[in-house]
Amino acid sequence: MGFFDETFDLMAPNDRRVEGVAKVTGAGKYAAEYKVDGLCHAVLVGSTIAAGTIKNINVDNAKQVSGILDIVTHLNKPLVPGLADEAKIKEARLGLAIFHTDKIFFKGQPIAMVIAETLEDATYAASLITAEYEKTDAHVDFDAALKKVPLTPAGKERGNIETLNKATQTVEAEYNIKAEVHNPMEMHATIAEWKADDKLKLFDKNQGVNSVQRTFAKLFNIPTDNIEVISEFVGGGFGSGLRVWPHALACIMAAKQVKRPVKLMLTRPQMFYSVGYRPAAWQKIKLGANSDGKFVGIHHQAKNGTSVYENFNEGITRVTRLIYHFDNLKTEAATVPLNLSTPTWMRGPGDCTGDFAIESAIDELSYKLNMDPVALRMKNLALDKHPDNGMPWSTNYINECIEKGAQMIGWKDRKPAHSQTIDGDWSIGYGMAVGAWNAGRGNASAGIQMQKDGAIIVQTAMTDIGTGTGVSMQNIAHEQTGISKSKINIELGNSNLPPAPSQGGSNGLSSIGGAVVAAVSALKLKLAGYAAGQNEAYQNAAPADILLSDSGISLKTPNEQFISYAALWEKNNLDVLEVEASSGPGAERQKYAFCSSAAHFCKLRVNRKTGKVKLERMVTVADGGKIISEKAAANQMSGAAVGGIGMALMEEQQTDERLGTLVGNDFAGYHFPVNSDAPIIEVAFVNKPDPNINPQGSKGLGEVGIIGTAAAIANAIYNATGKRLRDLPITPDKVLLG
Amino acid sequence: MRPFLFSKSSAANQALAKKNHSTQFIAGGTNLVDLMKKHIANPESLVDISSALPNKVENTTKGISIGAMMRNSATANDAIILAKFPLVAKAILAGASPQIRNMASAAGNLLQRTRCPYFYDVTTPCNKRQPGSGCSAINGENRMSAVAGYSEQCVAVHPSDLCVALAALDASVVVNDKDGKTQTIAFQDFHRLPGNTPQKDNNLPANALIRAIEIAANPFAKNNAYVKLRDRDSYAFALVSVAAALHLNGDKIVEARLASGGVAHKPWRWLAAEKYLKGKTANIANFEAAANIAIKDLKPLSHNGFKIPMLKGAIETALKQCLDL
Repeated sequence: MGFFDETFDLMAPNDRRVEGVAKVTGAGKYAAEYKVDGLCHAVLVGSTIAAGTIKNINVDNAKQVSGILDIVTHLNKPLVPGLADEAKIKEARLGLAIFHTDKIFFKGQPIAMVIAETLEDATYAASLITAEYEKTDAHVDFDAALKKVPLTPAGKERGNIETLNKATQTVEAEYNIKAEVHNPMEMHATIAEWKADDKLKLFDKNQGVNSVQRTFAKLFNIPTDNIEVISEFVGGGFGSGLRVWPHALACIMAAKQVKRPVKLMLTRPQMFYSVGYRPAAWQKIKLGANSDGKFVGIHHQAKNGTSVYENFNEGITRVTRLIYHFDNLKTEAATVPLNLSTPTWMRGPGDCTGDFAIESAIDELSYKLNMDPVALRMKNLALDKHPDNGMPWSTNYINECIEKGAQMIGWKDRKPAHSQTIDGDWSIGYGMAVGAWNAGRGNASAGIQMQKDGAIIVQTAMTDIGTGTGVSMQNIAHEQTGISKSKINIELGNSNLPPAPSQGGSNGLSSIGGAVVAAVSALKLKLAGYAAGQNEAYQNAAPADILLSDSGISLKTPNEQFISYAALWEKNNLDVLEVEASSGPGAERQKYAFCSSAAHFCKLRVNRKTGKVKLERMVTVADGGKIISEKAAANQMSGAAVGGIGMALMEEQQTDERLGTLVGNDFAGYHFPVNSDAPIIEVAFVNKPDPNINPQGSKGLGEVGIIGTAAAIANAIYNATGKRLRDLPITPDKVLLG
Repeated sequence: MRPFLFSKSSAANQALAKKNHSTQFIAGGTNLVDLMKKHIANPESLVDISSALPNKVENTTKGISIGAMMRNSATANDAIILAKFPLVAKAILAGASPQIRNMASAAGNLLQRTRCPYFYDVTTPCNKRQPGSGCSAINGENRMSAVAGYSEQCVAVHPSDLCVALAALDASVVVNDKDGKTQTIAFQDFHRLPGNTPQKDNNLPANALIRAIEIAANPFAKNNAYVKLRDRDSYAFALVSVAAALHLNGDKIVEARLASGGVAHKPWRWLAAEKYLKGKTANIANFEAAANIAIKDLKPLSHNGFKIPMLKGAIETALKQCLDL
């Protein structure tokens, strides 16, 4: 059946994204696409040096360009109260005090902002601005700088690490990963409009409207409720929208300066140094096991890059304390300040980096032990309890992920020794790795509006960054109410709606699901309250006893006591019925530990003559509790796997120490996978509910899809060729010279 | 982007009349627009020549002529090209993306500028962009840079795939100068090595226009291959690429052609390897020997030593693919 033969009814989507049609037809608007009366445009001008002090900024030529409204610099700006002095800057935790300092910390740091009637005028004028600097020494080479920073303990030592020396087999190796830059398809953008001196409206690309609201309320010293943030459609987040970045503040300052609504959209080159990146990392692992494969212990050391004006610690060794039992464990870490913009969370932050080293080392150990890497892992999984805090898992089906994945890929066809399967110039191999993530949940609120015809709108401030939050809310609301999906609309990504946490850290659905369930209960009780006026049977009915349908309310009793919504509405003179409810984690967090997990398998071929790696199959099986929306969940997993291919094989932000610069800032040189690099990702789920994490039993999937992918690929390259490649990305040159 | 004047010409002589030092011709614009956005090219006026030049592949007495305005995707799908010079189509399809190929012109492909990252970053020194400012790549990030034919002034490589095939097939470039005179430049003489004038990519005369690319009839339509190694499977510039073509008589090589991208400032011919293969039996041992001859005198920079074994592998692979091995 061809794609266009599929029966498709726009009005009755079947598990399709609630925002899908709007997105693909262009009706859905991204932040930069809103039309606002009187809108003008701001363009940022970046520093051409990486460290020093601004001595002079020449804006004379820029001012000659027609249509220029104003030029903001650190000498000509509306003062942001929250950045008024050094103490306040520190307290604001914005990172870069944009336009409130003459210091330069990295190349590309905004030193000026042109505001003009048109984008073209602003862009042209921005190109005419020059500056003089007093330069100081800059360092951007992570590999060189990391040697100068000492390690410090990261968490408590377990057992005695010296015991590792008694292990039958040990692996000791170093792993390096290059920085990966955030470049979601939608570039970050803000439209800011001051509705009054203390009232602000923002269309903004981010992963949490309430966080944006709070940040600017504090910076401008105005009530949170005076700031409206709209992020209804988000074209990819991956962590880049979890922080409020300086350019958004710049846009708000521009709107203040010219007293008009202003749009500021980052250019693709600016994206390379404005919205964070997965920092470069160095790791050293010493891992040991007894001859039966039981792990003796692990010593994990890690360093990641950060900026000189902020400290960002990835938490690379967190995952070391999550998946396996290590009776003896020592973790150490350090951050390495560089003259680059501050890194940030990127899908599977920390764990993704740490897991690559651990899972590579385990694979290496399996060959030394002559043990199947699947069997070695199964022997050491911490299935009974969280290996660090000792609490019993609520659920942890990582073993089932491994078993199912092994079966799907045909793991039995893998040769135990490397370089055994040859096809002409190609060598074929299999690899696997696992990943896990502490599964969280936050406090969230949801609202429901119901019409006389039984149609409902479920609302939350939470954004849907492409993860399928909307369709999942619809599914939960449908399951809880019995109302048809076609009568359930979803509204999200607006700070006027019931508050919710940012969408990140695999917490989105886990948090909002409970709020939807709570809101449905509130709706049922409210309806039952009105129904009680017509039928006493509804008095004191509990939500579980109440059934809703497209047409009315009834009770779970033999004679149902059905009352139509129309009758309720007429009798009580109702217009729109509104409820709001909140839900969050509770006592279960003191009883259980929670994790999502996944197993990744791949089969690939390596060309011995050219170094080319071609993935043939990728299988990823996840334990995400109950799967609420299978298509959206599978989409999450396959997208993450493709991100993992990028991390494993091609993504790399190069730097030039002599010039204090990133090398390249476009997609000609920075490679992420294209369709041809990825096979069809075969996704499966354990799909067993976690009874304790939240009412719907689902655990977040966003991170585990990528944690372990890179190691699975590197391990398969070893199985194919006998080359143990420990530095990412594994580009063809490394394969050839390895 | 700086403001500029834009006009359209419907004939070559009309376009040429408008050309001066501050004017640039624009065809597909797939490279020029990027260069303008980054303030590397700063023309005061643009003359759109997309209606001013031939856009067909035509049979000629000697072979074929590819019109300068032939879009890359059209060339790659042209029946004459596919029948007589399939290597050209293979090379085109190994480059860029469908969207870019739909816009890019045949002549423009010859004139695209290097993709050296320092050339594109106006805050860094680059002799090609700003003569005399220095070469950032020679002692910097030069993984993609040249391994042959470079100078202290410039280590950039020419980014085209099409040009590698055209070099292998001994094409020629037909040029109209300002006075309307036509001149034919052999392909190997069209692009330059950097020497002391890295700002000059090629020998196109000032204020002249490429009218067509000609390829003489040849016996390479049956056994040819284009192999491109890159950091991802599609839409990336070559680490190295190889165009190979064999004229066979039974299993004897009558004549061989070998050219590469990602090696030098111009498409690079492996003449000594071609000479070695002439008259030899087409087998793996001879292909390996030819590849070894090709890589013998290459001079890698600090970060691109891998290109030597990669070229060897790519040449062997391309020659084997000529035989469908």
